[in-house]
Amino acid sequence: MATVLELGSDKASSLAGEVMARSGQNLSACYQCRRCASGCPVGEQTGYLTPDRLIRMIVLGKRDAALDNPLIWKCVSCYTCGTRCPNDIMTARVVDTLKKMAHEHRIRPSSPKVAAFHSSFIAAAKRAGRLNELSFMGRYTMKNTLGGLARLRLRGIIQDQKDQAGFGLVLLRKGRVHFLPQKIKNRRQFKRLMRKGRAWAGSVSKSPASQE
Amino acid sequence: MELAYYPGCSLKASTEIYDEQCKRVLSAVGINLHEMDNWNCCGSTSASKTDDFLAVALPARNLGIADASDYSGMVVPCSCCYNRLLSAQKVLQTDQSLLDTINEELTDKITGKTKILTVLEAIQFAAKSGDLTKNVVKKLEGLKAACYYGCMLTRFPYDMAASDDVENPQGMETILKALGASPLDWGYKTECCGASAAVNDKDTAFKLMSRIMKDAVARQANCFVTSCPMCQLNLDAFQKKIGTIYGIDRELPVYFITELLGVAFGMPAGELGLDQHFADSTTLLKELNLYE
Repeated sequence: MATVLELGSDKASSLAGEVMARSGQNLSACYQCRRCASGCPVGEQTGYLTPDRLIRMIVLGKRDAALDNPLIWKCVSCYTCGTRCPNDIMTARVVDTLKKMAHEHRIRPSSPKVAAFHSSFIAAAKRAGRLNELSFMGRYTMKNTLGGLARLRLRGIIQDQKDQAGFGLVLLRKGRVHFLPQKIKNRRQFKRLMRKGRAWAGSVSKSPASQE
Repeated sequence: MELAYYPGCSLKASTEIYDEQCKRVLSAVGINLHEMDNWNCCGSTSASKTDDFLAVALPARNLGIADASDYSGMVVPCSCCYNRLLSAQKVLQTDQSLLDTINEELTDKITGKTKILTVLEAIQFAAKSGDLTKNVVKKLEGLKAACYYGCMLTRFPYDMAASDDVENPQGMETILKALGASPLDWGYKTECCGASAAVNDKDTAFKLMSRIMKDAVARQANCFVTSCPMCQLNLDAFQKKIGTIYGIDRELPVYFITELLGVAFGMPAGELGLDQHFADSTTLLKELNLYE
């Protein structure tokens, strides 16, 4: 009989340990009841790779699969999995941890636009202290275009530009675009706070309040 | 009642109408909102997907400003900002070293004293004191509302108490009933609209919204009502397109709860921004004699 589940024992403990420490979630408590799966709104979009499957993957030590799969990029952070879990495992936080680990290991996201969106959002917010939709969307579109060019996906680029421009025009027509950029005062102090993360990350090897 | 107010970036950009409505409507029921000085972006869910420190530090700086002010409570209308601010407050209650690290860089220190409130909670204060119904000049009769809460109002990334039932919240229903409207029972009130996926992963977001739209239409709702700027923008701006793709032949207006309060209080449509919606938002109100 073919092996259904294969345990890479040494890999398993290191992967599960790292994900549990960083996400603050006790994955060994998962007994695969699949309440998370039945509530996951993106199950169809991930080919039914649901939170329970992702947890199993991590526990079995499948590092490559855990860091490179559709769920970590299709997850919409609705937190349904976590609020329904009888063992209080918030898989959305596991998913967020895997996104960061994939980025650190330079694994190309299966949905590059999602990754580009979030990194552009944070870059724009850190710069002005507030999010300006125009500068943020410009940054995001630029990132996508360059990414698309690198992958030689010209048709995709053109379609994306059309979609963005179309949506932009609709917003403009309804008077819902603002050209005056929002900025906070005393940005020097703000940026000092933003940089503080590096020292903090070096001093602790856990995510915020991971022990709760 | 005097309360601090954190509008967040959306309310200063694409959903400025919600900012206006919140201030006008709450002041009509005796709650004056004072916009916090020099607030910053909460980081939304993007921060938690990219940087563990920023996920707390970005919202936390605002908690410091609120804690240093004279107000005991702060109204946060955007569900996502509300979620991030409340989550940061919860994390900092238990993580002293992170609290110290952040406080070191802040002029206004975080003490944890500020009670963070949704718009619905603020309106319910007014309802309890009778300030809500005494302002009503038009009963919202005939409004069959599908109250749509989305994710962020009741579900959090940390184990914490929600201000309403997690899966079947009733805040908007309670308010709308007091105004004479008929909110419906339906199954998708806390399902996800896809949020930013509407921009970066359209197929996924459209699928999620199609389920929400289908259920509301099947139950014969004549409008959506929401308190989240992201949910409002998504359902409003993309409804027509999704309807074409998924064969849904009705388009429903997507009102903010504050907008309907404004209508019930007899505020002029222009002040409320009823003309800044994407789906037709005035025909229904005209049919129901709620708007000239």
